[in-house]
Order: sequence, then C-alpha cells, then structure tokens
Amino acid sequence: MTLHPLPAALAALFLGTVAAEAADNSAALDLIRRECSTCHGAQGVSVSPTFPNLAGQTPQYLGAQLRAFRDHSRADPHAQAFMWGMAAQLTDDTIKEMADYFAKQPAPRGASADKGEVAAGEKIYQEGVEKQDVPSCMSCHGDKAQGNELFPRLAGQRRSYLEKQLEAFSTELRANEIMHENAKKLSARQISDIAAYLSSL
Amino acid sequence: MATTMSSMRQWRPHAFLLLVIIAAFLLAPRAADATPGFARQTGVACEACHTVFPELTPFGRLFKLNGYVFSNVRQLQDINVNRETTLALAEAAPLSVQLEASNTTLSKRIPDAAVNDASQKNATQFPQALSLFYTGKIADNLGAFLQLTWSPATNSVGIDNSDLRFADHGTFPSVGVPDFIYGLTLNNNPTSQDVWNSTPAWGYPFITTVAGVNNDAKTQIDGTLAQTSAGLGGYLWINNHLYLEVTGYRSAQTGTKNSVTGNVGPLDSTTANRINGVAPYWRVGWEQDWQRNSFFIGTFGLRDATHPAGIGENGPADTFTDYGFDAQYQYIGDNHIFSIYATWIHEHQDRNTANGTAANATDRLDTARLTGSYFYNRKIGGSVQIFSTTGTSDPGLFVAAPVIGSAAGKPDTQGAIFELDYLPWLNTKLGVQYTAFRKFNGATSNYDGFGRNASDNNTLFVFVWTAF
Repeated sequence: MTLHPLPAALAALFLGTVAAEAADNSAALDLIRRECSTCHGAQGVSVSPTFPNLAGQTPQYLGAQLRAFRDHSRADPHAQAFMWGMAAQLTDDTIKEMADYFAKQPAPRGASADKGEVAAGEKIYQEGVEKQDVPSCMSCHGDKAQGNELFPRLAGQRRSYLEKQLEAFSTELRANEIMHENAKKLSARQISDIAAYLSSL
Repeated sequence: MATTMSSMRQWRPHAFLLLVIIAAFLLAPRAADATPGFARQTGVACEACHTVFPELTPFGRLFKLNGYVFSNVRQLQDINVNRETTLALAEAAPLSVQLEASNTTLSKRIPDAAVNDASQKNATQFPQALSLFYTGKIADNLGAFLQLTWSPATNSVGIDNSDLRFADHGTFPSVGVPDFIYGLTLNNNPTSQDVWNSTPAWGYPFITTVAGVNNDAKTQIDGTLAQTSAGLGGYLWINNHLYLEVTGYRSAQTGTKNSVTGNVGPLDSTTANRINGVAPYWRVGWEQDWQRNSFFIGTFGLRDATHPAGIGENGPADTFTDYGFDAQYQYIGDNHIFSIYATWIHEHQDRNTANGTAANATDRLDTARLTGSYFYNRKIGGSVQIFSTTGTSDPGLFVAAPVIGSAAGKPDTQGAIFELDYLPWLNTKLGVQYTAFRKFNGATSNYDGFGRNASDNNTLFVFVWTAF
C-alpha cells in the first residue's frame, strides 16, 4: 500500500493531537494558554513592551490587579481597552490559580540600558529624592525590586510599561494614593531613569 | 472535465507541504475584521484586535484563528452527564452594523452617449454600503463572521464576506510544538479567511469608490470568486509562527437557477464563471513577532477551471493558476503605528479559445501592490499605495470601447493611491482618498480609442466609515 506523504502527515498530526501528552486542562491554565499568552507570553514574559511581564510577579499583586480589572477599580486606558473584558468573567478561584501560575514562572532577565540612566535610576530607587520629598522605592518594593505581597515586583519589567504606569499614577489615570503622591513629584527624566534601572535588573 | 481532473491530479505539492510540516516540528518553541460585535462579545476594545480597523494586530489574528469564540460575557449554558458543554450562547447576540457613505469626484466626466452629453462629475452614495454582522461565538469551538450587505447597485441585500469556523488547540511538546491551533473554515471568498492584510480580501484599499472607473482585469484570487464560491478548508497555526492551509472551492452562486428545473441548482450554461469541480487554494506563511514588531512572509494560490456563460459542463473550460507572494510588517507602538503590506500575484491562464472569450491560448496577468501606512495615536494617519496590473495583450479579452475599453487590447493599469484618515473614535473613520492613474487599460493617453486618458479616471473619494 502506498501512503501519500501529505495525508499520512496530516493523519499523524491529528491522531497525535488526540494522543498528545495530556495537558493540564484546568480552566485557568486553559485560559492562560489560549488568551493571556497572546500578550503576556505563555510563561509570563510579554511579547511586546506594551504589555507587562507577569513571570515572577507576587501572587498577591496579580490577584489584586485581576480583581481590580474585574470590578473596574483599575481604570487606566489599557486596563479599560484590554483587561476589563478579559477579567469580566473570572472567578476568585480562577484568579488565584492564574496568579499562582505566573508567580511561579521564572522572572525574565533584565534588558540592557544606558549606564548613566541606570545609575541615576538606581540612586532614586534606593535613596529617594530628598529635596522633592520622594521616599525610596526600595522601602516597599524590596532591595532588589523583587516585590513584597501587594507591592509588585518591578525588577526586569518592561521599561516603557513602567514609564506608562508612573505617568498614569501621576495623572491619576491609575488610582493609587501612595503612588500618585510619589509619581507626581517626579520629572519625566527621573521616571525614565527609574524605569531604565528597574528594567535592567 | 476529464482534462481538468487529470490536471488537478498533477497538482501535488505534497512533498513540499510535508517538508514544511516537518520543519515546523523540528523548530523549538520560542518565547513567545473588524466588528463591534466582537467587542461586545469579548469586552475588549477595538485596539486589541486592530491597529486601525480593519487591519489586524497579532491578537486579532489569533482571535480569528481561534474561531472567533473568545467570549467574556455571561453564557446561556447546558451540559450533559459527562459534563460536556452542549450549549454556550452569549446572553446578548454579537450583532453590529456598518455604514459607509461617500462622495466620488472623477477627474473628467464620463460621456453620456444617449444624448451626446456628459455624466455628472460627482457621485454621492448614502449609504455606499450598509451591513449587518453576526460576528462571534456559536458554540464552544464554533464561531462565525457573517455579513449581509445592502448594495446600492442592485438596491438589494446580499451575502458579503462570510466565514464559519471551527478551531481548537493541540499540543505536541515532545516534538517542540507546545501549542498549535487546528481549524476548519467554510467561507465564500478565497483569502477572506486569511488573517494578514497582504492578501486580497482584506487588503488595501480597505474602502474604495463604487462610482469610479474600474480596471476589470483581475486575477481569479483577487476578488473574482468573492461571494460566488464556497470553500471548505483546514488550517494549522503552529508555535505562533507557521501557518498552513488547504481549502477547496466550488461555485456557490446566488441569484442563479437551473434553466430546466427553475431551482437554484445544479448550475448550467446560463450561469457565468462556473468553477469546474473543486478549485484548490493553498496558503503557507511564517510570522515573526519581536518587541513591537510583527513580520510575516507567505505564499498563497488558487487553481480553478471555469466555464463562461453559454458553455455547457462538457464544453471547454479556461484554467487559471494563481501564485501569490505576500509580506507584511507592523510596528505597533503606544503612539505610533506603522505598517507595510506587499502583494504580488502571478496568474497563468490556459484559455480555451473555442469558448469564444480569449484570442490567445495562454495569457498572463500580474498584479503587484505595495502599501505603507502610518497612524498617530490611532487617531490620525494615512496610507500610500502603488499598484500595477500588467498582462498579455489579448484582443479577444480587451477591446476598444468608450471609458472601459482598451484600444491596445491590454489590461495594463498602474498608479497610486494617497489617503488621509481621521478617527474621532476608534470605530469611525473619516477619509479622503485620491487615486491617480499613470496608465489605464494599456495606455497613458487615448487608452480606450475614444480619446480618454488614464488621468481622466483619477478619483477623489471622500468617505465616512463607521461600525457600531
């Protein structure tokens, strides 16, 4: 019997699909594979700087943000455009499972950035800016910017995402009293330096 | 018929496709159209799926490849005792409406032969088109993009681009494929199922005048079979990089009937452009996304044998073989969006001169389009396209006639399109589009043999296009 290579390959493919290694089909993992991964990457390392990395993020922060998207209390432009819809039907259990999944993924290594900017950003991150009454970022986000429960990990985050968030806190597009008070005192240059430093970690 | 079937049997790019599939398996994984109905279903704004409608983002492409099923609204559901979902319907149907209105100004009036005068210089269309869409999920892995459009030319409502799609995911981690999508599509326009904007159905210009002077020489895959054929096909999207599809098209014409029974089929010699048997369509492409960039390169094609009107099923057929190559690049920044689409289609025509259309036994038609577009904040921007169609001189196909004819017997038409757009909201586009012809139907001046120049067909097209 002669087997035509194309039908044989397709048959192998589809039979193989059925017999493919059983994936974990929990609702949360299925959603991550089908939807979240499109922007945030299957392992939580985002495809584009528009979207934040989620790998290694604290589960408490991830859970809080998903709930805030669901109840619309986080309302910056990208939250409304993308995440309000995405989170609309998530249950508390699914949110917890998603948060745990991304928290367990290995955090991405930082991107290279201008040394001068990184040094300036590091100084602000560690010491704050006394004359502008800006406290050190490190006190909440950790000495390595690794985050702490509801205070998110910032190390290795996308530079332009970080800049956008600080701008959104500053203009109150993203509501957070502490971050608004701090971000509004920073210049665009300082925001850019902090983002350069954090994205390089 | 016998000739067609034997030539179809010769069409066996099996080995090539197999190589592509194997290549896809060997590659290790790497980090990894537009309707408000979709927005209603997903709860996600236009900008997730579109840079500026109707161009798709990588997310939009994935939404379509996944069968339009992703839904974030409450579902009416049912399950059986095995906990399988037997019904999942959105509580609100993903319906939407699209309205286009326009004004077209021709550079030179068209002669009014009836009274030895001229036509109006402007043509106003309100609406130019009005469409009703159902776009979204039907069941868990089944979705649809269905479009009904009112046509000003016939003052009737007809089927427009439509696509019924099943899709699911599979995984083959042991051979380096952690995730792939496999799907089936049933659609009525070759390339309407495609997710890149460098193929004809969703290619630029996204909107164009219906009141200008058209160059009618088009390859079969470039809209000739749109809404007059139905294709069933299967596709694979592997590792977010490799796309493979094979679809077979048959004639599925509306508004026609069998001359004996009076029923809508089987089609006979009274229906024009009937596909003999099944026309195979193929598509292979590779997408590479990095940072804010997305690059795609691919090939597509179609082979069809058709009968013109007046020729029976056992009569001579014309066989068309189209090879297309396309590429697309997108930069999707927070503020700046930049896109390039390139399309080249070569058509080889085996004409059966016995059926009385072409004078040559073989003809060639080549179409090339290169488009660049830029938008700032998804609000203001524009596009420029250069286009060219060239082909064999055939005095049987192209004859001298006022305005639409060709004195040279050639289809050659070349020019450029310049467009400026303003989007006060993401779902509303106001635009000004200018089409300039360097050559029309084979010549720059007196192309029709009746004194009309190519530039006389230059068109200023002002439009509003909204969907809600």
